[in-house]
Amino acid sequence: MRRLLIALAVVALVLLFIRAYRSGIKGPDEKGERLQINQVLGGTPAEGFLRANAPRRFIFPEDHGPHPGFRNEWWYFTGNLQGADGRRFGYQLTFFRAALTPHPAPRTSAWGSNEIFMAHLAVTDVAGKRFRYAERFSRVAPGLAWAGGRPLSIYLENWRAQETSEGPFGMRLSAADAEMALDLNLVPVKGVVLNGEGGLSRKSAAPGNASYYYSMPRLASSGSIRIGGESFRVTGLSWLDREWSTSALEKGQQGWDWFALQLEDGRDVMFYRLRRVDGSSDPFSAGTLVAADGTTRELKREEVELKVTGWWTSPTSGARYPSSWRMRIPAQRIDLEIVPRLADQELNTGFRYWEGAVAVRGLGGAPGGSGYLEMTGYAADVDVGK
Amino acid sequence: MILWRAGLRNVLRHPWLTVLAVLGVALGVAVVTAVDYANEAAQRAFRIAAETVAGRATHQVVGGPSGLPDQVYKSIRVDKGFRASAPVVTGHLQLPAKSGARSGATFQLIGIDPFSEPPIRSFSSQFKDQSVLADLMGRPGTVLMLRDTAAELGIRRGSTFPVDVAGVRRHLVLAGYIEAPDRVSALGLASVLVCDISTAQEILGQPGRLSRIDLIVPEGRAGEGVLRELRGGIPSGADIVPAGARAGALDRMTRAFRLNLKALSLLALVVGMFLIYNTMTFSVIRRRRLIGMLRALGVCRREIFAMICAEALMIGVTGTVIGIGCGALLGSELTRLVTRTINDLYFVMEVRRVPLLPASLLKGTFLGIVATLLAALPAAIEATGAPPRAVLSRSMAEARRRKMVPVAALCGALLLLCGVGLFLFEGGGVVGGFVGLFAVIVGYTLLVPGAVVLMAGALRPVLAALMGTVGKMAARGVVVSLSRTGVATAALVVAVSAGIGVGIMVGGFRLTVQSWLESWLRADVYLTSADRSGGRYRPALGPALVQRMSTSPGVEKMTLSRRVAIDGKDGPTEIFSVQVPESSFLRYPFKEGGMEGAWESFSRGASVLVSEPYSYRHHVRTGGRVTLRTNRGLLQFPVSGVIYDYGSDSGIVIMSRAAYLKYFDDPGVDGMSFYAAPGTSPSALAAQLIERAGGESVTVVSNADLRKATVEVFDRTFAITGVLRILTLAVAFVGILSALMAMQVERARELAVLRAVGLTPGQVWGVICGETALIGLLAGLLSLPLGVIEALVLIYVVNLRSFGWTMQVSIEPVYLLQAVVLSVAAALLAGIYPSIKIAGTSPAVALKEEE
Repeated sequence: MRRLLIALAVVALVLLFIRAYRSGIKGPDEKGERLQINQVLGGTPAEGFLRANAPRRFIFPEDHGPHPGFRNEWWYFTGNLQGADGRRFGYQLTFFRAALTPHPAPRTSAWGSNEIFMAHLAVTDVAGKRFRYAERFSRVAPGLAWAGGRPLSIYLENWRAQETSEGPFGMRLSAADAEMALDLNLVPVKGVVLNGEGGLSRKSAAPGNASYYYSMPRLASSGSIRIGGESFRVTGLSWLDREWSTSALEKGQQGWDWFALQLEDGRDVMFYRLRRVDGSSDPFSAGTLVAADGTTRELKREEVELKVTGWWTSPTSGARYPSSWRMRIPAQRIDLEIVPRLADQELNTGFRYWEGAVAVRGLGGAPGGSGYLEMTGYAADVDVGK
Repeated sequence: MILWRAGLRNVLRHPWLTVLAVLGVALGVAVVTAVDYANEAAQRAFRIAAETVAGRATHQVVGGPSGLPDQVYKSIRVDKGFRASAPVVTGHLQLPAKSGARSGATFQLIGIDPFSEPPIRSFSSQFKDQSVLADLMGRPGTVLMLRDTAAELGIRRGSTFPVDVAGVRRHLVLAGYIEAPDRVSALGLASVLVCDISTAQEILGQPGRLSRIDLIVPEGRAGEGVLRELRGGIPSGADIVPAGARAGALDRMTRAFRLNLKALSLLALVVGMFLIYNTMTFSVIRRRRLIGMLRALGVCRREIFAMICAEALMIGVTGTVIGIGCGALLGSELTRLVTRTINDLYFVMEVRRVPLLPASLLKGTFLGIVATLLAALPAAIEATGAPPRAVLSRSMAEARRRKMVPVAALCGALLLLCGVGLFLFEGGGVVGGFVGLFAVIVGYTLLVPGAVVLMAGALRPVLAALMGTVGKMAARGVVVSLSRTGVATAALVVAVSAGIGVGIMVGGFRLTVQSWLESWLRADVYLTSADRSGGRYRPALGPALVQRMSTSPGVEKMTLSRRVAIDGKDGPTEIFSVQVPESSFLRYPFKEGGMEGAWESFSRGASVLVSEPYSYRHHVRTGGRVTLRTNRGLLQFPVSGVIYDYGSDSGIVIMSRAAYLKYFDDPGVDGMSFYAAPGTSPSALAAQLIERAGGESVTVVSNADLRKATVEVFDRTFAITGVLRILTLAVAFVGILSALMAMQVERARELAVLRAVGLTPGQVWGVICGETALIGLLAGLLSLPLGVIEALVLIYVVNLRSFGWTMQVSIEPVYLLQAVVLSVAAALLAGIYPSIKIAGTSPAVALKEEE
């Protein structure tokens, strides 16, 4: 009897403890997660925002500044640079503006804002075979992120693009991270080039699926660049792409391959191939050929032959990107082999893509040059056409 | 096997004794478990909340009373380029009363900038739903909360709900849910609303101001460099403190409070141990004949020892299981009391859904079972130690006991001395105080048997005069059966004295607080913001309101005050700034310094006053200096006086409003008090002030009401002490009952002999009740000096070391009387059952019955 009692008591105690431990609490989980900010950038409904429906009149320098009312806008600086000793570098400094709502709500707090900035900084060190990149986010708030003013300034924390002269329109880029820094003066060799129909760049048949798009294809650049602890004086050519829109891609379009090429004979080629899910080129793929004197000519899809001649698989994301191209524009006597200066120029940022400096070799006596290539929609987790 | 059956038989034959012993253990364990649970729950809840909200931040930039300007963040993040930084705007808000579930509950509102957050807080990077962040940032008044909290409040995503902020009703929109990464965070976030930093600034009415900036600074030399660099870039009113400083300081603040509770709960267990000791000793002594016979028959010592230990274990286990069950129930009630006290005295905290903590259960179990076994050990040793023949003889056992009395008394005296030594040793701290207290208690109980012998001898003539021979027999009986009466009395003395000690201490404290309020609260009417969500700290009143109230007719004099906490390396310092007329200042309850000289420098802002606990904790006295972080940097202020203050046990620094305005750039006023002009009654003044305040949400109270409210807070604070006191007394009561009842039941045969010799049933009643009443009386009387000693130790050692408070001692006769009445009543009650039983049994039957 007594043993039974003791046994019962022990069983009761054990049960009590098991219950207590079950309901007991685990230690905190230290695993942090990446801010899913890219979803915000693409995820806001388009209702209420302005659309790029019809050609418009561009007014400069005002149009270098931001266009509130549109959902997305970017200032895209890329360039190929060279040190005094011939060492080659590529760079990218991009400011993206994304609005969360069509109209800002009246707020008393200076933090109250309906706009977010994202910026990417990348430096390709060709000789050192290293590609460095960094990403930043901020809401639009005084001192933190902003675009506007005269002279124009665009900044996200201490990454900035500052207007230095109005005519011709010059800018100074400065950005620093622990790993790299750049400080460049850009002076236009050619003026503003309006892409598409006078600046209206249609991306699909649906009205409004278009952007306002202009470029400054040739900006003489000089300044300094730092990678790791080393600084270099550099000179070269930059390209500014400016685009604002509310909706661009549509279902069925998976991504794009964008080329910005500066040829030795003074001509510049911009061409984007919109890629459909099945791999084919979308009929709305298009481009602009800028003559040495600055006159422009629209490039239709049919005029440009584009072929992938090699592939590279990213060890980081596993995505497979084209690694060499052949571009022919027979009517313009352009025949180019385009090869990245470094295979790995993939930005594993919230929005994953490949963007990097390319060497351009002229075939059959055609002129060569250098340029920048952007490839999106290759990584499995990116669904830009949504 | 036969041994076990014998043991079981013993239990079954005296079910009442067993039940009472089990009850004693159960009560002791329940009290310890409950207090431990309540303490741990409160502490955990606070720590988890602090850690979850602070996240991985290692340091914080903190500002003056009104926080930091927005620009400080820009200068750290952009100018200094230190990107492991995140701004925070935080404050408290309340759910409106009568709003259903958790009405009136306080929530912490945390405004964050999601874009600077990712490295810092686990919950902030989890905006799984795309539109949540857009809503949070783009739409004013949007907040996030835990899904569970929302379900409990009946709020759905997208719906609006009201809250009160600084007395103003606001409407918030639930934009989505916070995803707590784990259950610990979920506990910490149960009373948290997360919102965008802009929303927090707007709701809390502090646009352009940050509460703090969280930093992740690397460890080691690199980190030191970073800190030096950052310190150079912040304004003089700001400072960088370790992230744990605040939490650590709050932890330290309540440490003394929690320790006091723990000690009281241990006292209950000690009393419970006495009970077990008594019960076990008793069950051995009662069966010494049986044990002797068993030993004579060849049962070896080890088996007897095992049998007794097993019996004790059974009582221990049963009592512990019941005790833990009751403890868990009692614990949640005590948690409420503890939380309320912490909210009243220290900081705002909500304790929600803390699961039963395994550690508390373990402690309770360990204490219950080990204490039982320990208490049974002497009895088991006694039963097995003596040769069989000696065990059979009871007189021998008693004689041995009596011989032990002087030895015990000597040990007791030594222990008492040790205890006193600990009191004199200031460095021992609160723990030393309690160890000393326990030494004194145990030492005193060792003196009790000797005292019983002496006092019983002294009282014999009195009893003889009152009740004749029967009285004499009763007195003699107490001495003769010292083995039982001694322990029973000692247990009784411990329990009853604890009740007296705590009672006197609380009574004295209450009186002290009342007389302090008398000299501290001198104005006729007091006005503050109605918002209570910030605990001790209230939001500032609107400047227009202050202006309007200042010019009320019927006011002769008035004071303006502001109470703020300034964060520093060692946690927050409370600063009470006041603009006060000289006449009121001079009547402040000064402990040292003060008077005219102090007024002159105080009113100029050239010196400050500190409260007694501040002086005690920081070793600052009149003529010393305190260092405060002001908006002009670290400054030293001379101390021109120390005043009594029972409002805060971490201490406060009192400075004139002139100095506060000069050094802190905070023109806010959160309290006003008014002296009625001659011819205006305080109630008329109050009514007029309420009218003048218009629709503003303020609290206007008269002096009398404020005093009453303060004393109510005091009483609430000590409600938990009162509960523990009653529980200890309950344990004591059960102890007396079981000990004395057992003693008399065991005497059945002896009493039967008396009956046979010719004692009437009435006279048997007299012998039994006389004896128990005598023990009760002796215990009651003996507990008086110990109770008073305990009160003095609690006041002069424990409370002083815990809180730095001096209090008056006032020994209310009612507590003493209560103690004696309680012990005599319990003793008499214990006599009733044996008396009825014996009176109702025929002597012949009783005589035949084997022991």
